[in-house]
Amino acid sequence: MADNELALDAEAPAAPEAISGERYFVRLNYSERAQHMIFAGCFFILVITGFMLKLPEGFLAFFGQAGELLFRYRRLLHRIAGTLMILVGGYHIYYLLCKAAGRRWLMDMLPRLEDLKDMRDNLLYYLNIKEEPPEFDRFCYKHKIEYGALIAGTTIMALTGLILWTQYQWSKFVVDIAALVHGMEAILASLAIMIWHFYEIHFRPHKFPLDNLWITGLISEAEMEEEYGRHYKKIMNDPELQKIYIKEKSDRTPKSYVLNHK
Amino acid sequence: MVPVNLHRIRTLVLAAILLLIPGISAFSQSDTLADTENCLLCHRYPNMGRYDEFGKKRVYYLNAEKYALSVHGKLMCKNCHIGLDTIPHTEVKKVDCATKCHIKEPSTNLEFSHANMIKKYEASVHGRGTPDNLKPSPEDLPTCKYCHDNRMHNPFDGQWGLSRALFTETLARCKGCHTKDRWAQNFYTHITHRMRKRRPPAEIIKLCTSCHEDRDKMARHGLESIETFKDTFHWIEIKYGVKNAPDCISCHVPLGYATHDIRPRSDPISPINDSNRIQTCSNQGGVQACHPGAKAKFATGRVHAYGTKAQMLAGRQVDEFENLSRDLILERAELDISEDEIFHFRVLQFIKLMYKILIGATIMFMALHQWLDFLSAKRKRKKPHHGR
Repeated sequence: MADNELALDAEAPAAPEAISGERYFVRLNYSERAQHMIFAGCFFILVITGFMLKLPEGFLAFFGQAGELLFRYRRLLHRIAGTLMILVGGYHIYYLLCKAAGRRWLMDMLPRLEDLKDMRDNLLYYLNIKEEPPEFDRFCYKHKIEYGALIAGTTIMALTGLILWTQYQWSKFVVDIAALVHGMEAILASLAIMIWHFYEIHFRPHKFPLDNLWITGLISEAEMEEEYGRHYKKIMNDPELQKIYIKEKSDRTPKSYVLNHK
Repeated sequence: MVPVNLHRIRTLVLAAILLLIPGISAFSQSDTLADTENCLLCHRYPNMGRYDEFGKKRVYYLNAEKYALSVHGKLMCKNCHIGLDTIPHTEVKKVDCATKCHIKEPSTNLEFSHANMIKKYEASVHGRGTPDNLKPSPEDLPTCKYCHDNRMHNPFDGQWGLSRALFTETLARCKGCHTKDRWAQNFYTHITHRMRKRRPPAEIIKLCTSCHEDRDKMARHGLESIETFKDTFHWIEIKYGVKNAPDCISCHVPLGYATHDIRPRSDPISPINDSNRIQTCSNQGGVQACHPGAKAKFATGRVHAYGTKAQMLAGRQVDEFENLSRDLILERAELDISEDEIFHFRVLQFIKLMYKILIGATIMFMALHQWLDFLSAKRKRKKPHHGR
């Protein structure tokens, strides 16, 4: 089994250009990448324009006369990004139910009993009690937890956000609850993204400084085998799946991708 | 005739100087101020002042130009400062804004005074009550000058934009007929003064919270500190310097109400009484309709976040107050806060607690998990390479 972390070390194998017939595995298709990009963009705008409300008074004095303008655009941007995020969320549900790739995603993402076993085994491996980590399917327990949190969080934020937007239709008590939940959920979501997701894509030793999977959607065969062993085996034993998930290296494979995944 | 006290030589000397008034006043008179009383003879010197018996610095200097431009610029000193007839001024009394100041009020042709306002004010929450029925701790209550410190806060700005230009343009039109410049300007500022907010919202908050955030002072009157205002969206707008952001005045003295006549919430003529809330929140007919769509269930809800009173009623431990204050606050709290609101307070507190636990637990788990992942990755690196 290839050791991905070591790929960057001195004993790394020869340059990828030299290997012929190299294969890549599709983790995210075009639609999924587009959904992710729009969603992530909205998320950043929402976090910034949202937490701007919490800036201390003294800091805001720095903006002086521009403060009012800043406040107006903050509100506008927050609402545009929020609307877009809800639309992407709606499209994602459509994608899950009505597209073949979406249905595959949904089936692979459903929580199963073996996820608990995987989690236990993986934690034992982390604690150095087990020698080897478990083999994961397409989505491991980490992904499923994060995806579940994303669905729940987006739903809560969208609902409370819409209540705040249409505040006159509600009693002040409902608006107060919505404001409180919107704020607390925002803290939870931002911290979760910073600690869980950013670690996965930025700080895992072989991903640093940034995994470009979100742009290319591809990972190398070595990484596929290492990280998603169960899924790799499934693909190798099923020609139908091979058509979907395997991509031969061609001239069109982005150069940046090749550089990052020696 | 100048009063002369023969027993006091100092006074005699001063009196002698005063006898020379006609000669000297020609020099002491400023261009802007008709100082017919010749007060500026002494009071024009910027160093004039003393430290009083409490060690407080008292400045007796008068900037004639600034005074002439102020709202009281047409008054003579003695109109307000009673008891200045002797020099040195030993009999001087504190200025009483209810004094009749010999200016004729043009609509009635009677002598003008602020007594009207003071009468209203005394009946408001901020009034001290009548002399035979004083409110407890009357010294805590603001007097005229506490709020009317007559600084130049926000001279030509506000709802009508950068109205320095507006001022120049419209005043020029007045001067077309009213040829006396000074008169026209005074009249113009007198009217337009009422069209402007003199203090920007942040200044209003500063003024009101100078008392209302003083926990002890408020407790003496059975009130809670209103720092909870700073948990509202209204405050965030003020924080950003939005010009017409909702400050204390916006809701407590909205359209059709007077600052001098602020009543407690329970009073049916108070703008924050439940029966008047829709109008207060929507501010229909005002320069700016704030929540034009406000309905009863939205408008009658809690505006400031829950504070000491709700905490007390919900049986929570609050900062130590003296027993008397505690009873006073509780007594008011029971009047002000309904059972429903206590329930709302409890629900909000519960949600907050649940989220704190959820955030703490989730983030701890995540941080621990990812840290372990990092350690295992490091461990793996150290192991000898085992190829595919």
